[in-house]
Amino acid sequence: MSGAVMQAGYAEDRAAIEDLMARYLFAMDWGDYEAYLDMFTEDGELEFVRGTAKGRQAISESVRAFKQSIGQFYKDADGNPAILRHIISQTVIRIEGDRAFAVAFWWEMANDGPGGKPKPGTFGTYEDELVKQDGRWLFSKRRILNEFLEGRGTGEVNPVRLLDERAQRARA
Amino acid sequence: MSDPAQLARDRAEIKDLMGRYLFAMDWHDTEAYAACFTEDGVLDYAMATLTGREEIRRGAEKFRDAVGDLFKREDGSPALLRHVLDHIVIRVEGDEAWTTAFWWEMTDGGPGRTPEIQSFGTYEDELVRVNGQWLFRRRKIYNELIPGRETPAENPVRHYDAAAQAAAKRN
Repeated sequence: MSGAVMQAGYAEDRAAIEDLMARYLFAMDWGDYEAYLDMFTEDGELEFVRGTAKGRQAISESVRAFKQSIGQFYKDADGNPAILRHIISQTVIRIEGDRAFAVAFWWEMANDGPGGKPKPGTFGTYEDELVKQDGRWLFSKRRILNEFLEGRGTGEVNPVRLLDERAQRARA
Repeated sequence: MSDPAQLARDRAEIKDLMGRYLFAMDWHDTEAYAACFTEDGVLDYAMATLTGREEIRRGAEKFRDAVGDLFKREDGSPALLRHVLDHIVIRVEGDEAWTTAFWWEMTDGGPGRTPEIQSFGTYEDELVRVNGQWLFRRRKIYNELIPGRETPAENPVRHYDAAAQAAAKRN
Protein backbone atom coordinates (compact mmCIF):
# COMPACT_ATOMS: atom_id res chain seq x y z
CA MET A 1 0.00 0.00 0.00
CA SER A 2 1.12 3.47 -0.61
CA GLY A 3 -0.08 6.96 -0.02
CA ALA A 4 -0.55 8.51 3.35
CA VAL A 5 -3.52 9.25 5.51
CA MET A 6 -2.79 12.80 6.41
CA GLN A 7 -3.19 13.77 10.02
CA ALA A 8 -4.82 17.04 11.00
CA GLY A 9 -2.33 19.86 10.80
CA TYR A 10 -0.55 18.32 7.82
CA ALA A 11 -0.49 21.59 5.88
CA GLU A 12 1.07 23.39 8.83
CA ASP A 13 3.75 20.78 9.33
CA ARG A 14 4.45 20.59 5.63
CA ALA A 15 4.78 24.37 5.40
CA ALA A 16 7.27 24.41 8.27
CA ILE A 17 9.33 21.57 6.78
CA GLU A 18 9.36 23.13 3.30
CA ASP A 19 10.62 26.32 4.88
CA LEU A 20 13.32 24.43 6.81
CA MET A 21 14.49 22.72 3.63
CA ALA A 22 14.74 26.06 1.85
CA ARG A 23 16.66 27.60 4.75
CA TYR A 24 19.01 24.63 4.66
CA LEU A 25 20.00 25.36 1.05
CA PHE A 26 20.54 29.07 1.61
CA ALA A 27 22.66 28.30 4.68
CA MET A 28 24.69 25.74 2.76
CA ASP A 29 25.26 27.75 -0.41
CA TRP A 30 26.12 30.92 1.49
CA GLY A 31 28.38 29.07 3.97
CA ASP A 32 26.32 30.09 7.00
CA TYR A 33 27.38 27.18 9.22
CA GLU A 34 25.72 28.50 12.36
CA ALA A 35 22.31 28.57 10.66
CA TYR A 36 23.06 25.23 9.01
CA LEU A 37 23.90 23.38 12.23
CA ASP A 38 20.92 24.92 14.00
CA MET A 39 18.65 22.90 11.68
CA PHE A 40 19.85 19.57 13.09
CA THR A 41 18.97 18.06 16.45
CA GLU A 42 21.85 17.98 18.95
CA ASP A 43 22.51 14.34 18.07
CA GLY A 44 21.50 14.75 14.43
CA GLU A 45 23.11 12.69 11.70
CA LEU A 46 24.33 13.74 8.29
CA GLU A 47 25.18 10.95 5.90
CA PHE A 48 26.79 11.95 2.61
CA VAL A 49 29.74 11.17 0.38
CA ARG A 50 32.25 11.80 3.19
CA GLY A 51 30.54 9.30 5.49
CA THR A 52 28.26 9.76 8.48
CA ALA A 53 28.74 12.63 10.89
CA LYS A 54 26.81 12.41 14.16
CA GLY A 55 26.20 15.40 16.39
CA ARG A 56 26.47 19.08 15.51
CA GLN A 57 30.22 19.29 16.09
CA ALA A 58 30.99 16.38 13.77
CA ILE A 59 28.59 17.71 11.14
CA SER A 60 30.24 21.12 11.34
CA GLU A 61 33.71 19.72 10.70
CA SER A 62 32.56 17.43 7.92
CA VAL A 63 30.56 20.07 6.06
CA ARG A 64 33.28 22.71 6.25
CA ALA A 65 35.83 20.29 4.83
CA PHE A 66 33.42 19.29 2.08
CA LYS A 67 32.66 22.89 1.15
CA GLN A 68 36.38 23.61 0.80
CA SER A 69 36.99 20.61 -1.42
CA ILE A 70 34.00 21.27 -3.64
CA GLY A 71 35.26 24.83 -4.22
CA GLN A 72 38.27 23.30 -5.95
CA PHE A 73 36.02 21.18 -8.12
CA TYR A 74 33.73 23.86 -9.54
CA LYS A 75 35.64 26.63 -11.33
CA ASP A 76 34.39 29.30 -13.66
CA ALA A 77 35.93 30.03 -17.09
CA ASP A 78 38.66 32.19 -15.46
CA GLY A 79 39.61 29.49 -12.94
CA ASN A 80 37.97 31.25 -9.99
CA PRO A 81 35.70 29.27 -7.65
CA ALA A 82 32.32 29.10 -9.39
CA ILE A 83 29.07 30.20 -7.81
CA LEU A 84 27.40 26.90 -6.91
CA ARG A 85 23.70 26.69 -6.08
CA HIS A 86 21.68 23.73 -4.87
CA ILE A 87 18.06 23.52 -5.91
CA ILE A 88 15.24 21.56 -4.38
CA SER A 89 12.18 20.73 -6.43
CA GLN A 90 9.43 18.23 -5.55
CA THR A 91 9.23 16.96 -1.99
CA VAL A 92 7.25 14.10 -0.44
CA ILE A 93 6.65 14.53 3.29
CA ARG A 94 5.02 12.05 5.68
CA ILE A 95 4.17 13.12 9.19
CA GLU A 96 3.77 10.66 12.06
CA GLY A 97 3.07 12.64 15.21
CA ASP A 98 6.24 14.53 16.14
CA ARG A 99 8.28 12.66 13.57
CA ALA A 100 8.43 13.20 9.84
CA PHE A 101 9.94 11.42 6.86
CA ALA A 102 10.79 13.15 3.63
CA VAL A 103 12.21 12.49 0.21
CA ALA A 104 13.18 15.40 -1.99
CA PHE A 105 14.71 15.79 -5.40
CA TRP A 106 17.73 18.09 -5.50
CA TRP A 107 20.05 19.22 -8.26
CA GLU A 108 22.74 21.84 -8.56
CA MET A 109 24.07 24.32 -11.04
CA ALA A 110 27.07 26.63 -11.23
CA ASN A 111 28.29 29.41 -13.50
CA ASP A 112 30.93 27.14 -14.95
CA GLY A 113 29.40 26.55 -18.39
CA PRO A 114 30.77 27.79 -21.72
CA GLY A 115 31.03 31.59 -21.75
CA GLY A 116 30.31 31.78 -18.03
CA LYS A 117 26.79 30.46 -18.48
CA PRO A 118 25.08 28.30 -15.91
CA LYS A 119 25.51 24.58 -16.26
CA PRO A 120 23.75 21.81 -14.32
CA GLY A 121 26.10 19.87 -12.07
CA THR A 122 24.81 16.74 -10.42
CA PHE A 123 21.46 15.60 -9.01
CA GLY A 124 20.18 13.20 -6.41
CA THR A 125 17.76 12.85 -3.53
CA TYR A 126 17.54 13.82 0.10
CA GLU A 127 16.19 11.16 2.45
CA ASP A 128 15.28 12.82 5.71
CA GLU A 129 13.99 12.07 9.14
CA LEU A 130 12.79 14.98 11.18
CA VAL A 131 11.52 15.56 14.69
CA LYS A 132 9.48 18.36 16.14
CA GLN A 133 11.19 19.81 19.22
CA ASP A 134 9.56 22.71 21.11
CA GLY A 135 7.28 23.31 18.14
CA ARG A 136 10.14 23.44 15.63
CA TRP A 137 10.97 20.83 13.01
CA LEU A 138 14.64 19.77 12.86
CA PHE A 139 16.57 17.18 10.90
CA SER A 140 17.43 14.16 13.04
CA LYS A 141 18.91 12.50 9.99
CA ARG A 142 19.63 13.74 6.50
CA ARG A 143 20.94 11.33 3.91
CA ILE A 144 22.30 12.95 0.75
CA LEU A 145 22.34 10.67 -2.25
CA ASN A 146 23.99 11.66 -5.51
CA GLU A 147 23.40 9.71 -8.72
CA PHE A 148 26.83 10.71 -10.03
CA LEU A 149 28.92 9.33 -7.20
CA GLU A 150 29.90 5.68 -7.07
CA GLY A 151 27.95 3.89 -4.36
CA ARG A 152 25.94 7.00 -3.46
CA GLY A 153 23.07 6.63 -5.92
CA THR A 154 19.45 6.43 -4.80
CA GLY A 155 19.08 2.87 -6.06
CA GLU A 156 16.43 1.16 -8.13
CA VAL A 157 13.58 1.11 -5.63
CA ASN A 158 11.27 4.13 -5.61
CA PRO A 159 12.59 6.04 -2.57
CA VAL A 160 9.06 7.07 -1.62
CA ARG A 161 8.17 3.39 -1.13
CA LEU A 162 11.04 3.12 1.37
CA LEU A 163 9.89 6.30 3.04
CA ASP A 164 6.36 4.92 3.41
CA GLU A 165 7.79 1.78 4.99
CA ARG A 166 9.86 3.81 7.45
CA ALA A 167 6.82 5.87 8.34
CA GLN A 168 4.72 2.73 8.83
CA ARG A 169 7.32 1.31 11.21
CA ALA A 170 7.35 4.56 13.16
CA ARG A 171 3.58 4.39 13.50
CA ALA A 172 3.64 0.78 14.72
CA MET B 1 4.91 33.18 17.52
CA SER B 2 2.42 32.98 14.66
CA ASP B 3 -0.47 30.55 14.54
CA PRO B 4 0.71 27.52 12.49
CA ALA B 5 -2.58 27.17 10.58
CA GLN B 6 -2.48 30.83 9.59
CA LEU B 7 1.17 30.48 8.61
CA ALA B 8 0.37 27.55 6.30
CA ARG B 9 -2.43 29.57 4.67
CA ASP B 10 -0.19 32.62 4.27
CA ARG B 11 2.56 30.48 2.81
CA ALA B 12 0.17 28.94 0.27
CA GLU B 13 -1.15 32.37 -0.76
CA ILE B 14 2.32 33.89 -1.07
CA LYS B 15 3.54 30.96 -3.17
CA ASP B 16 0.54 31.48 -5.43
CA LEU B 17 1.38 35.17 -5.83
CA MET B 18 4.95 34.25 -6.73
CA GLY B 19 3.64 31.80 -9.33
CA ARG B 20 1.30 34.38 -10.84
CA TYR B 21 4.14 36.88 -10.99
CA LEU B 22 6.27 34.54 -13.10
CA PHE B 23 3.46 33.63 -15.50
CA ALA B 24 2.67 37.34 -15.91
CA MET B 25 6.32 38.11 -16.61
CA ASP B 26 7.03 35.28 -19.04
CA TRP B 27 3.77 35.83 -20.96
CA HIS B 28 4.25 39.62 -20.89
CA ASP B 29 0.93 40.28 -19.17
CA THR B 30 2.09 43.65 -17.93
CA GLU B 31 -1.21 44.51 -16.16
CA ALA B 32 -1.21 41.28 -14.16
CA TYR B 33 2.49 41.77 -13.45
CA ALA B 34 2.00 45.25 -12.00
CA ALA B 35 -1.05 44.03 -10.02
CA CYS B 36 1.26 41.78 -7.98
CA PHE B 37 2.61 44.93 -6.31
CA THR B 38 1.03 47.39 -3.86
CA GLU B 39 0.01 50.78 -5.29
CA ASP B 40 3.32 52.23 -4.08
CA GLY B 41 5.29 49.02 -4.53
CA VAL B 42 8.98 49.03 -5.47
CA LEU B 43 10.71 46.79 -8.00
CA ASP B 44 14.49 46.86 -7.75
CA TYR B 45 16.10 44.89 -10.59
CA ALA B 46 18.99 44.98 -13.05
CA MET B 47 17.42 47.51 -15.42
CA ALA B 48 16.13 50.03 -12.86
CA THR B 49 14.40 50.71 -9.55
CA LEU B 50 10.73 51.42 -10.20
CA THR B 51 8.13 52.80 -7.81
CA GLY B 52 4.37 52.42 -8.11
CA ARG B 53 2.24 50.17 -10.29
CA GLU B 54 2.28 52.43 -13.34
CA GLU B 55 6.08 52.64 -13.43
CA ILE B 56 6.32 48.90 -12.86
CA ARG B 57 3.85 48.22 -15.69
CA ARG B 58 5.90 50.38 -18.05
CA GLY B 59 9.06 48.62 -16.85
CA ALA B 60 7.45 45.30 -17.77
CA GLU B 61 6.75 46.66 -21.26
CA LYS B 62 10.39 47.65 -21.61
CA PHE B 63 11.42 44.19 -20.47
CA ARG B 64 9.08 42.67 -23.06
CA ASP B 65 10.64 44.79 -25.81
CA ALA B 66 14.24 44.18 -24.69
CA VAL B 67 14.02 40.47 -24.04
CA GLY B 68 13.69 39.49 -27.70
CA ASP B 69 17.07 41.12 -28.38
CA LEU B 70 18.64 39.66 -25.29
CA PHE B 71 17.77 36.02 -25.92
CA LYS B 72 17.75 34.61 -29.44
CA ARG B 73 17.52 31.20 -31.01
CA GLU B 74 20.21 29.98 -33.38
CA ASP B 75 18.13 31.20 -36.36
CA GLY B 76 18.03 34.71 -34.86
CA SER B 77 14.36 34.64 -33.89
CA PRO B 78 13.44 35.75 -30.35
CA ALA B 79 13.77 32.91 -27.86
CA LEU B 80 11.14 31.90 -25.34
CA LEU B 81 12.21 32.76 -21.81
CA ARG B 82 10.92 30.91 -18.75
CA HIS B 83 11.66 31.70 -15.13
CA VAL B 84 11.61 28.90 -12.59
CA LEU B 85 11.09 29.24 -8.87
CA ASP B 86 12.18 26.52 -6.47
CA HIS B 87 12.77 26.71 -2.73
CA ILE B 88 11.34 29.64 -0.83
CA VAL B 89 11.87 30.82 2.75
CA ILE B 90 8.86 32.77 4.03
CA ARG B 91 8.60 34.70 7.31
CA VAL B 92 5.19 36.08 8.26
CA GLU B 93 4.47 38.56 11.06
CA GLY B 94 0.83 39.63 11.10
CA ASP B 95 0.08 41.42 7.84
CA GLU B 96 3.72 41.63 6.79
CA ALA B 97 5.92 38.97 5.25
CA TRP B 98 9.48 38.54 4.03
CA THR B 99 10.72 35.99 1.58
CA THR B 100 13.99 34.75 0.17
CA ALA B 101 13.64 32.57 -2.91
CA PHE B 102 15.87 30.94 -5.48
CA TRP B 103 15.07 31.56 -9.16
CA TRP B 104 16.66 30.53 -12.42
CA GLU B 105 15.74 30.95 -16.05
CA MET B 106 16.10 29.10 -19.31
CA THR B 107 15.34 29.71 -22.95
CA ASP B 108 14.75 27.57 -26.00
CA GLY B 109 17.88 29.11 -27.51
CA GLY B 110 20.29 26.20 -27.09
CA PRO B 111 21.79 24.21 -30.00
CA GLY B 112 19.01 22.75 -32.15
CA ARG B 113 16.37 24.67 -30.17
CA THR B 114 17.12 22.89 -26.90
CA PRO B 115 16.67 24.39 -23.44
CA GLU B 116 19.58 26.49 -22.24
CA ILE B 117 19.99 27.84 -18.72
CA GLN B 118 20.75 31.55 -18.86
CA SER B 119 20.94 32.84 -15.35
CA PHE B 120 20.11 32.35 -11.68
CA GLY B 121 19.77 34.42 -8.54
CA THR B 122 17.56 35.24 -5.58
CA TYR B 123 14.41 37.22 -4.91
CA GLU B 124 14.26 39.21 -1.70
CA ASP B 125 10.72 40.34 -1.03
CA GLU B 126 8.77 42.39 1.43
CA LEU B 127 5.05 41.72 1.27
CA VAL B 128 2.03 43.23 2.88
CA ARG B 129 -1.56 42.02 3.15
CA VAL B 130 -3.91 44.59 1.62
CA ASN B 131 -7.65 43.88 1.93
CA GLY B 132 -6.92 40.22 2.54
CA GLN B 133 -4.54 39.88 -0.41
CA TRP B 134 -0.78 39.49 -0.23
CA LEU B 135 1.12 41.88 -2.50
CA PHE B 136 4.77 42.79 -3.00
CA ARG B 137 5.67 46.01 -1.25
CA ARG B 138 9.22 45.59 -2.45
CA ARG B 139 10.88 43.01 -4.64
CA LYS B 140 14.64 43.02 -5.11
CA ILE B 141 16.01 40.75 -7.80
CA TYR B 142 19.58 39.59 -7.51
CA ASN B 143 21.25 37.91 -10.48
CA GLU B 144 24.52 36.03 -9.97
CA LEU B 145 25.42 36.38 -13.65
CA ILE B 146 25.27 40.18 -13.80
CA PRO B 147 28.31 41.87 -12.24
CA GLY B 148 27.15 44.23 -9.50
CA ARG B 149 23.77 42.50 -9.08
CA GLU B 150 24.97 39.41 -7.22
CA THR B 151 23.29 38.38 -3.97
CA PRO B 152 25.44 39.72 -1.10
CA ALA B 153 27.87 37.30 0.54
CA GLU B 154 25.91 36.97 3.78
CA ASN B 155 23.19 34.31 3.90
CA PRO B 156 20.23 36.34 2.55
CA VAL B 157 17.77 34.64 4.92
CA ARG B 158 19.46 36.30 7.91
CA HIS B 159 18.67 39.76 6.63
CA TYR B 160 14.93 39.11 6.58
CA ASP B 161 14.84 37.15 9.80
CA ALA B 162 16.13 40.30 11.47
CA ALA B 163 13.44 42.42 9.77
CA ALA B 164 10.73 39.96 10.82
CA GLN B 165 11.96 39.94 14.39
CA ALA B 166 11.91 43.74 14.51
CA ALA B 167 8.32 43.68 13.18
CA ALA B 168 7.30 41.08 15.77
CA LYS B 169 8.56 43.37 18.55
CA ARG B 170 6.69 46.32 17.08
CA ASN B 171 3.37 44.43 16.90
